[in-house]
Amino acid sequence: MIDAIFSLRFLLLIVLTVIILLSGLFATSFGAANISMLDVFTVLGHQAFSFGEITAIKERIIIELRLPRVILAFFAGAGLALSGSVLQTVTRNPLADPYLFGISSGASFGAVIAITAFSTVGSFALPVGAFIGSTIAVLLVLAMAGNRVNQQIEKMLLSGVAVSFMFSAGTSLILYMGEPQAAASVLFWTLGSFARAQWDSLAMPVFTVLGCLVLFIGFKRQINAVLAGDESAQTLGIPVARLRLFMLILSSLITATIVAHCGGIGFVGLMIPHLVRLSLGSSSIGSLWITALVGGLFLVWVDVVARTLLTNQELPVGVITSVIGSVFFLVILTHRKKGS
Amino acid sequence: MSTPFLAINNLSWQVDHHQILTNINCTFPKGKVIGVIGPNGSGKSSLLRCIYRVTKPCAGGVFYQDKNIWKIPAKQYARTMAVVLQEAPHNFSMSVTQVIAMGLTPHKGLFSFDNAEDQVILTEAINRVGLSEHADQPFDSLSGGEKQRALIARAIVQQPQILVMDEPTNHLDIKYQIQILELVRSLGITVIVSIHDLNLASAMCDSLMVLNHGELVYQGTPEEVITSKRLSDVFDICCTVQPHPQTHKPNICYYYGYQHNWQDEYHGSQKQDQELKYEQSHD
Repeated sequence: MIDAIFSLRFLLLIVLTVIILLSGLFATSFGAANISMLDVFTVLGHQAFSFGEITAIKERIIIELRLPRVILAFFAGAGLALSGSVLQTVTRNPLADPYLFGISSGASFGAVIAITAFSTVGSFALPVGAFIGSTIAVLLVLAMAGNRVNQQIEKMLLSGVAVSFMFSAGTSLILYMGEPQAAASVLFWTLGSFARAQWDSLAMPVFTVLGCLVLFIGFKRQINAVLAGDESAQTLGIPVARLRLFMLILSSLITATIVAHCGGIGFVGLMIPHLVRLSLGSSSIGSLWITALVGGLFLVWVDVVARTLLTNQELPVGVITSVIGSVFFLVILTHRKKGS
Repeated sequence: MSTPFLAINNLSWQVDHHQILTNINCTFPKGKVIGVIGPNGSGKSSLLRCIYRVTKPCAGGVFYQDKNIWKIPAKQYARTMAVVLQEAPHNFSMSVTQVIAMGLTPHKGLFSFDNAEDQVILTEAINRVGLSEHADQPFDSLSGGEKQRALIARAIVQQPQILVMDEPTNHLDIKYQIQILELVRSLGITVIVSIHDLNLASAMCDSLMVLNHGELVYQGTPEEVITSKRLSDVFDICCTVQPHPQTHKPNICYYYGYQHNWQDEYHGSQKQDQELKYEQSHD
């Protein structure tokens, strides 16, 4: 039976990977310019084996604009879903979300300061400001949470809320005092977008997500054991308090990197782990791979919707995920009520 | 003098100047079942927490083969001692097998996967506690007794020398209380278990420790510890103690009626009822 479940999971993994590769090609063909799946194939074929005839403009759109965008969307989704899943497990709180620990409000604060201080929406200053802001927010939460097992979760969650409000207040104040144009660009950034994706800025999010995924898989047993209670995990020889802080640091690193590159994309970290858990019927994070793949797949398609729903205009990604996310949760809640 | 297997030396623990455990000394022989009994708040759970290395005592300590357990790395100690806690975890949807497989954790490094040998250990533990039919079920769907058995299986997978259990028989039907204790007795390892039911403790343990107000007041075989005088001193009850017809261990028969007003009223009304009945039947 154990083998059967294992191979079923393996099959699911393969199916998901195939769907993701196809989705990637599909997603690349969507957008303002008229490009077909065949164009995508020929351009990719030309890149890899230099055969076939292609037009330079299509090649530029596909290789320089669309492809990095799809890849960024995939890794953003995978990273947010992973950190949500791990945080929900180590805090045993189904509502834990990477944004709950002040990361997004810290990032907004940093971004606002970067925009007002350098008075340009420079491609460099904003992500760096956002990253520094979220790092400060998380360090505050970490310092508050402390290294003692008792009340650690409670302190983490409550100080996360407090830090969020603190930074939001700072952001609001600066925006209120500042120029309306700065407010507009910050708002646009906060809502999330993959439009700024470029090949040379891809490395950091990709390697952060992959690196943390490897570490999460390494600590899988320990993370799962915390699910049965802190004291129970301690009797298995696990340093629970240190493990929890370490996992918060890794999740924050992922989230801060993604927020810096794509802005605030809500609900993915909260929703995808629940979705995977509900469909697999297990709250263990043995399904880390699946969570990551589903999260990535989700954002790739959300980005397609963002690009194509309105003609000649892009919708912010964060708006779409929040709409889908909130409806999703209401549906789950009504189902739960019926179930019990 | 030979090295004791597990020993507690001059152990004291206090929280915020509130003394919880005071100067406890005892040794645990290998392979025996030791019961810890005492009234509510006597420090049973605190003592067990000191033994399973979650609470660090203020003075003295617990020594495994003459080594202070806080000097032993947590992971190594987890291969020596397994713990079944008072309350089973709830609200988490892992399968029974996944819960039991947690017991492998102290034997595994990071990035390691379960191999064929681990599977054998898992299957043996699941069969040992009689849960093979429930192995793939969600843990939450088990009954109270089955959950305890699953957690014992997790402890078996840890392959420990010592098993510590904090009130494992709480909230269980009497059949499962006996079943759980007979199961852990059959493991042949040292078991340190706190039990509320004194008759159960007397029947199932090789020796007993009696705690009262954080002090170890009596220890010895059930025959030595369970006497009506001692029980009335520690538990504030009246009882007679007789040998159990099957086990010949001390068996306690309690006397009732501790609330004097209620007692008088009860006897009064009973008397009236009896008189009434008597009168009615003779009318």
